[in-house]
Amino acid sequence: MKLLSALRREGVLGINRRNHEFTLRWNPRRLYPTVDDKLATKKLCQAAGIPIPGLIAVARRQVEVREMIGQLADLSQFVLKPAHGAMGNGILVVRAREGDAWRRAGGKRLTPEDLRYHAASIISGLYALGGQPDVAFVEELLEVHPQLAEISSDGVPDVRVIVHRGIPIMSMTRLPTHRSRGRANLHQGAIGAGVDLATGRILHAVLDGAPITRHPDNDRPVLGVVVPSFPRVLEIAVAATDQTGLGYVGADVVVDARKGPVVLELNARPGLAIQAANRAGLLPRLRAVSERIRPEATLAERIALGIEISRTARSMEPA
Amino acid sequence: MNRTAGLVGLLLVLIGLALFLWKAVVLELPLVATDAEGLWRIELEITARGTGRRGSIRAPLPSTGRGQVVFDERSASDRLLFTIRTEDGDRIGVWSGRLAGVHQVVHGFRVQLAEVTTPLPSRITRLPSRELLARWAGPSREFPSDAAEVKAFLAGLWPTVPENPLDCLRTLFGFVADEISTVPSGSDDALLTLSAREGSAVGKSRLLVTVLRAVGLPARSVLGLQLVEGQPPFTTQWVEAWVDGDWIPMSPIDGFFATRAANLVALRTGSLAEVETTAVAAVGHRYHALRERLRPEELAAMMIPTSPWLASFSLYQLPVSTQAALRVLLLMPLGALVIALFRNGFGVSTFGTFMPVLIALALRQVALAAGLMLVAAVLLLGILGRLVLERMHLLLVPRLGVLLCAVVLSVTSFALLGREAEVRELSVGVLFPMVILTMLIERFSVTLAEEGLRPALVRAGWSVVVAVAVYPIFHSEIAEHLMFGFPELVIVVMGLLIWIGGYTGYRFSDLIRFRAFAKPGGGAAS
Repeated sequence: MKLLSALRREGVLGINRRNHEFTLRWNPRRLYPTVDDKLATKKLCQAAGIPIPGLIAVARRQVEVREMIGQLADLSQFVLKPAHGAMGNGILVVRAREGDAWRRAGGKRLTPEDLRYHAASIISGLYALGGQPDVAFVEELLEVHPQLAEISSDGVPDVRVIVHRGIPIMSMTRLPTHRSRGRANLHQGAIGAGVDLATGRILHAVLDGAPITRHPDNDRPVLGVVVPSFPRVLEIAVAATDQTGLGYVGADVVVDARKGPVVLELNARPGLAIQAANRAGLLPRLRAVSERIRPEATLAERIALGIEISRTARSMEPA
Repeated sequence: MNRTAGLVGLLLVLIGLALFLWKAVVLELPLVATDAEGLWRIELEITARGTGRRGSIRAPLPSTGRGQVVFDERSASDRLLFTIRTEDGDRIGVWSGRLAGVHQVVHGFRVQLAEVTTPLPSRITRLPSRELLARWAGPSREFPSDAAEVKAFLAGLWPTVPENPLDCLRTLFGFVADEISTVPSGSDDALLTLSAREGSAVGKSRLLVTVLRAVGLPARSVLGLQLVEGQPPFTTQWVEAWVDGDWIPMSPIDGFFATRAANLVALRTGSLAEVETTAVAAVGHRYHALRERLRPEELAAMMIPTSPWLASFSLYQLPVSTQAALRVLLLMPLGALVIALFRNGFGVSTFGTFMPVLIALALRQVALAAGLMLVAAVLLLGILGRLVLERMHLLLVPRLGVLLCAVVLSVTSFALLGREAEVRELSVGVLFPMVILTMLIERFSVTLAEEGLRPALVRAGWSVVVAVAVYPIFHSEIAEHLMFGFPELVIVVMGLLIWIGGYTGYRFSDLIRFRAFAKPGGGAAS
C-alpha cells in the first residue's frame, strides 16, 4: 500500500494506462509499419537527412541470402539484424575476422554457413513480432564513444528518449554489462541510467530495478557521467519522431565514436523501465505536455519546452 | 477507466444479469443442477444411402417398462414417413418412402433408469400361461431348444430335470457363465457355442436362452444399450427368464443375475436385430448419450419455459452431440475472463495468450496432475528434439513440421504405453491441440536461446499457473449448468472483460518493477 501511494504520488505510468491513454490513443495502428520495420525507419530518416548507421546489405528472400553474405567477404565488423525484431532478439554482432570466418561478440566463431543460417532464420520469421516473413539486413558496427567506454562492457550503449507529441520528456542511457553479454537490454542485466534532459548528465541508475552508483564490472562511478553531444541526441530523436506521425515514441540513439549521434530505431510501444532509471514518473510530464503544447512551435522550441517540463517535474519531486 | 468503456461494460453486465435474474426469479428456472440419478438423453443417428426404390429403415425403440421410463421422444428425418409399429411387444420405428441419395434419421429420447432387482421367490406359486409358453419357450431357428445336442447335454447334466425351476435356472446360468468361455471371435450360434465350450457374447446369450427353453422355462434375449458417462454408448445384450410372474434379468457375459444395473437400457426383447433396411445400398448407425443433470420436471422448465420466445432459444432442445460441444464452448468465456485478469491485473506473461485455456480444456477428462505431467513429458521430448534439429540448420516451417510429427508420434506412443500399462491418463494426449504443443516447444526453445533458461522457465511456470487456475472452471458442474442453462451470462462476461480492458491502474508486475520507489530518497543527485 505504501508502494502504491508512492507510485501514485510520483506519477509512475503503468502498462495498462500506457496502452490506454498513450499508445492506443496517440499511435494509430496504420503508422506502426514505419517503426516496426527497421529498414522503413532507416529510409524515412535518410530522406529527412537524419544520420543513421550505414546499411551494408539486405536480403528479402532466401535466395538473396548467399549474395548478402558474399558481400561481407571484405568486412571484419558488422551487425546482422532482423527488420522486424523485438527486444534485441536475433541481432548478431560480428567483431573480428579470422581467415574465412568471423568471431562474434562474446568470442564464438562464425563460419559463412553459420551466418547464412542465421539470415535464413531471420527471413523465415523466427525473430519477427508475429512470426511473419521478415527481412534480414547488415549494417555497420557502431563504436562506443570514448566518454562512455569506461562504463559499458562488451557492447555499445544507446540513449532512449521518450517523445510525446513532438516534445522530448524523459531520457535514459542503457549501459551493457558482462552479464547482459554486451546487449543494451535491461531485462538481461544492462544498467538503466536516467539522463537529465538539460545537461545530458546521468542522475540516477538502476540495475535489476535497484539503484546503483557504480558500474558492477569495473566499479567506476556511473552517476555524473555526461552523455557526449547530448543536445544533438535530442535533436535527431525528435526529428526522427516527427517523420513518423506517431505521438508516443521511444527513440533509440547511439553516439558513435566517429559519426556522432545516429538514430538506431524507433519504438511505438516504449517500455516503462525508463521511470525506474530516472526515479521519476512519466505522468506529470505527459500531462504537462498536453497543457503546454503549441502546435506551431519549432523543433528547437519543442526541445526547450521538454527540458523545462522535465526540470519543473524534477524540482516538484519530494526530496 | 475511460467513460465509454465503463458505460458499455455496465450496460452489458446489466442486460445479462437482468435476463439471468428474470429467468431465475420470475420463471423459476433451476440455478443449481440437482444431479438427477440415472437420467439420460439418448439419440440414435442412422445414415443410409438408398437405391432409388421404395423401402424402409427399421430400428428398435425402447419402451417404458421395468427400470426404465422413456419420455420426450422426438424423431427427425428428411422426406421419409415415420410410424411406430408394435411387433411382439417391442416398439419398432419405421421410416419409409422412396429411398434416394443419402438419408439421415435421428431419433432422440430421454430415459430415466433405475436399478432392477428381482428377488427370487422361495416358493413357486405361479406357472407360465399357455400363451407365454408358446411365445417364449418354443424352439426356433435362433434358439433350437429341441435339437439333439441340447437334449444330450441336459441328459448329461441331470438324470431327470429338477422339479424346481429355480434350481434349473441357477445351474444352467452357472454353466453358461462359468463353463463356456467368452471369445470375441467365437461363434454366434447356440449349438456351436455349446459344442466348442466357447462362443461370442451373442453365442453365449443364445445358448442360455436355448437351454432354458429346453427345460421348459420361458426365456428371451434382450438387446440393450450400455451407457458410460463421457463415452459413446455401446449395444449389448442380456437374457431374461420368466419365473413366478417376473422376468429375471441376467447376463452370462457381464455376470449379473437377478439385478440389472442402472446404466442399461432395454431396446427390444424379441430379437437382437438392431437397424434393418430394405432398398438401401449402405447404412450406418450410432448412438449418442448424454447424462442429464436436471430432474425431469426441471428439464421441462428449461426446455419449454413459460415464455414462448424464450422456449425457442433453449439450448436443451438441440441435438445431443451439439449440446455436448456447446457445454464446453460456453465455458470458454470464463476462461478468457481468468486470462484477462491474470494478464492485465497481475501482468504475467504466458506462452500464447489463450494457450493455458486450451491446455485446461484438454485436461478436462483427466486428473490435473497426471495431465500436466503428460504435457511436460511431451514438451521435454519436443525440446530435446528441437536441440537436435538446431544442429541441422533447417528452415523454420519444415522445422516446425518435423516438430509437429515428433509431437504426434510421442502422443501416440504415450497412448500405446497407457494401454499396455492400463493407465488411462497416458492416452489423454490425443485430446491436445497438437499445433499448439508444437508452437509451445518452438517458443520455449527460442526463449531459452534468446533470453536464457530463467525467463523460459518463468514463462512456462506462469502458463501452468494460469492453466491450473482455469482448470476448475472446466471441471465445475455448477459453472457448466449455469453457462449452458443461462447463456446470457456470456454477455455479463463480455461486460466484465470490457471493464478489465478499460482498467488503467497498476498491474501487480508494475508494483514489483517499481518497488524501488517505495524507499525514500534513492540516488537522485539533482
